[in-house]
Amino acid sequence: MPPANASPPMPPASADLVTTWAFLEEGVDHIMTKLQTGVSYSKYMSLYTVAYNYCTSSKMHGQEGIGLGSKSGASLMGSDLYNNLIRYFTNHLQGLREVAETLQDEALLRYYATEWDRYTTGANYINRLFTYLNRHWVRRERDEGRKNVYPVYTLALVQWKACLFVPIQKQRKLAGAILRLIEDQRNGETIDQGLVKKVVDSFVSLGLDDADTNKACLDVYQEHFESPFIDATEVYYKHESEAFIASHSVSDYLKKAEERLKEEEDRVDRYLNTQTRKPLISKCEAVLIREHSELMWENFQNLLDFDKDEDLQRMYALLSRIPEGLEPLRKKFEEHVKKAGLAAVERLTAESTERGEATDAVEPRAYVDALLEVHTKNSETVSRSFRGEAGFVASLDKACREFINRNAATGTSNSKSPELLAKHADLLLRKSNKVSEENDLEGALNRVMILFKYLEDKDIFQTFYTTKLSKRLIHGVSASDESESSMISKLKEACGFEYTNKLQRMFTDMSLSKDLTDNFKSRMEQNHDDMDISFSIMVLGTNFWPLNPPPHDFVIPQEILTTYDRFQKYYQMKHSGRKLTWLWNYSKNELRTNYLNQKYILMTSTFQSAILLQYNRNDTLSLEELFVATSIPKEHLVQVLALLVKAKVLANEEKEQYDLNPNFKSKKIRVNLNQPIKAETRAESTEVLKTVDEDRKYVIQATIVRIMKARKTMKNNALLDEVISQLSQRFTPKVPDIKKAIDTLLEKDYIERVENTRDTFAYVA
Amino acid sequence: MVLLVTSDNEQFTADKEVVERSVLIKNMLEDVGESDQPIPLPNVSSSVLKKVLEYCEHHRGEPLPSADADQNQDETRKRTTDISEWDQKFITVDQEMLFEIILAANYLDIKSLLDVGCKTVANMIKGKTPEEIRKLFNIVNDFTPEEEAQIKKENEWAEDR
Repeated sequence: MPPANASPPMPPASADLVTTWAFLEEGVDHIMTKLQTGVSYSKYMSLYTVAYNYCTSSKMHGQEGIGLGSKSGASLMGSDLYNNLIRYFTNHLQGLREVAETLQDEALLRYYATEWDRYTTGANYINRLFTYLNRHWVRRERDEGRKNVYPVYTLALVQWKACLFVPIQKQRKLAGAILRLIEDQRNGETIDQGLVKKVVDSFVSLGLDDADTNKACLDVYQEHFESPFIDATEVYYKHESEAFIASHSVSDYLKKAEERLKEEEDRVDRYLNTQTRKPLISKCEAVLIREHSELMWENFQNLLDFDKDEDLQRMYALLSRIPEGLEPLRKKFEEHVKKAGLAAVERLTAESTERGEATDAVEPRAYVDALLEVHTKNSETVSRSFRGEAGFVASLDKACREFINRNAATGTSNSKSPELLAKHADLLLRKSNKVSEENDLEGALNRVMILFKYLEDKDIFQTFYTTKLSKRLIHGVSASDESESSMISKLKEACGFEYTNKLQRMFTDMSLSKDLTDNFKSRMEQNHDDMDISFSIMVLGTNFWPLNPPPHDFVIPQEILTTYDRFQKYYQMKHSGRKLTWLWNYSKNELRTNYLNQKYILMTSTFQSAILLQYNRNDTLSLEELFVATSIPKEHLVQVLALLVKAKVLANEEKEQYDLNPNFKSKKIRVNLNQPIKAETRAESTEVLKTVDEDRKYVIQATIVRIMKARKTMKNNALLDEVISQLSQRFTPKVPDIKKAIDTLLEKDYIERVENTRDTFAYVA
Repeated sequence: MVLLVTSDNEQFTADKEVVERSVLIKNMLEDVGESDQPIPLPNVSSSVLKKVLEYCEHHRGEPLPSADADQNQDETRKRTTDISEWDQKFITVDQEMLFEIILAANYLDIKSLLDVGCKTVANMIKGKTPEEIRKLFNIVNDFTPEEEAQIKKENEWAEDR
């Protein structure tokens, strides 16, 4: 590059300040104003060398311009150059300022940004040319505590700020222009974002930490841009949101607020300092959400009622951004779910009343389905619209617990829900369950478990379930062992080993009984050849099965007496000391008819058999004769007979006289006469409840003893609380029941009152 | 390759990577951009540049101390007077050349070379009496006896007893 424009010749190392600075100033000005024309290596090197030479020359102090660094021992000539640089920058910026003062708005920003680019690029060059000044003189000055001396590039910025930025920012011209552009953009206009970014970035660069020039400091940015920007944002959105709500629906507003928040996030990414994200977004949240949260809360119910999933999602997302924003929603949601549950059950009871049935005759399946539907729907809402947030899950659970345990079908009874649920489970697990959900039996059981989780009195469910299971097992109507054990393991998972212990033992008894029957049969085949009746037996542990022997005597019919005796002997021989109680009331038989043209097989209960077998010897018998022959009490006998009459096996033409019907006909060869007697079904529920009450007494007592054994002494109230908390898994004990249990234990000397206290108990070892 | 011209008008060529151990040249190439212009080095003579290039060649590829090297690193670098074997051999030159190298390193902004030079001088001074030091560097004692006594008193604490 030919230096045709004749740079002045490089002054010698010994040149004085005037000559030296004249040379340097020409070069500095070239770089600051004509950089685009290029700089040659030799120009660069000569500028560097001249600055270097001047700084390292050992001229004595006392020459012009020295003052700042003169006290240090070494002859550092830097202050001469430094002061001249300050003069240069000041002059240079004066020119820029004069132009800037004539400009407004975007034109001002453009001018400012262009000049900023040019100025900072040049200053970077100058900074490097004066590296030596920075490394030695500036550094020493700063080390000696003169913090108003800066490295050359920083000096350039300091001068920019003092001579250009502060004067034109005095009337907030720069920030005002930026804010107007941003407002334009918020109003939907396209703006030059690059321009905004450049100016905003310059604000950041102008922040200086005097103690450490390398450290970024945002004070200029915050004072001159960020805080007016946040204020303007507040005003803008306050105005906009109020106007918008006045003319739009809440759904629309939710959308709008969501968009606005997104836009502001983007704005930070596009041209603001990331530090602004927090104050900006929290301001927007305050203005756009908190200011209107009441309105959103009020409209929440509406959205729920009309299943506006998307709006719910939006409302959740917005309100989750402000503190305490969700709490009112959670409360309303809980109330909503509870109402929905109660209403669903009410519809059911209303329907059954319409059909003329009693209100408590709700179909288990319909009941369970209704509860499940409410649960499923709202559980989906929680996971879809509320992102499965724990607070909403808790609201859902609380509401479900409420309406599942107390609703129109249960009335004041706390046993109705467990009963219906257990009955539903029973129906599912029966062979007769022809539901197409055959392959989804598992799914149906899982749904039972969903409701089970909410039951307060799980022990009532347990008792009903045990009763139903025992029926399924002894009547052999269970759909499959697999499903049974699957259900039991679900219950076990939910309530522990103790809860399902009995159920599992029942299965053990079943399989032991099968082996026992087989062994007995093969033994009989060896010893006797007169086994003309087929026989199978179930031996069931008294403690595990909810079964009671008949409350009356029973004359065992001759026809089965031999087999009965043989089995008794066989069993005693195998397990001496065990007592067999015969549950005739649960036994059943099959009888083959020989008195009719067509041979039928009558499937009967043992009581029915005992009656019918009497007709092997007579065609007509009176009630009295039948009573003598069977020992079945008359009032029960009448009911058994009624069924046989109804089936037309017997005829009851005269009072208390029963004749064998010689013209019995049936479409089926196998005739099932073994129908439950109505009184028995009704008795079942009360029976179960009695058992539950009895069980609870012992469970409460056992719990108290366990607690007292661990704690030794305890105050009354603490004991009550502990009992309630330990038992809540299974049922909610009533305080009077616990008190009664405490009294019983005091009487039995398991615990005693501590002397001189009114309410403290101690464990008696 | 970069073309360098010394004060006595001799030309040297060297790999860019080698000459860029001089922060001065590195910065200039960055700012001005690369071209085939020769780079004048008005403050360095050919005999000294030869030595400097030898040093740079040997240390090519080593990391340069960053501009804002943290304080601790700077401190430990200053405190130790250890010099590596190669550098020791390299800097075994007559006193005049030693000072020329130090000046050139300072001018060209080659921090590690400046360190080697200064540490060498420091090692020369270490353990010597003021009289010995004056002799070593040809320094005329221009203190008055009073001044000298005063200074000795002020620096008594540093005496190795």
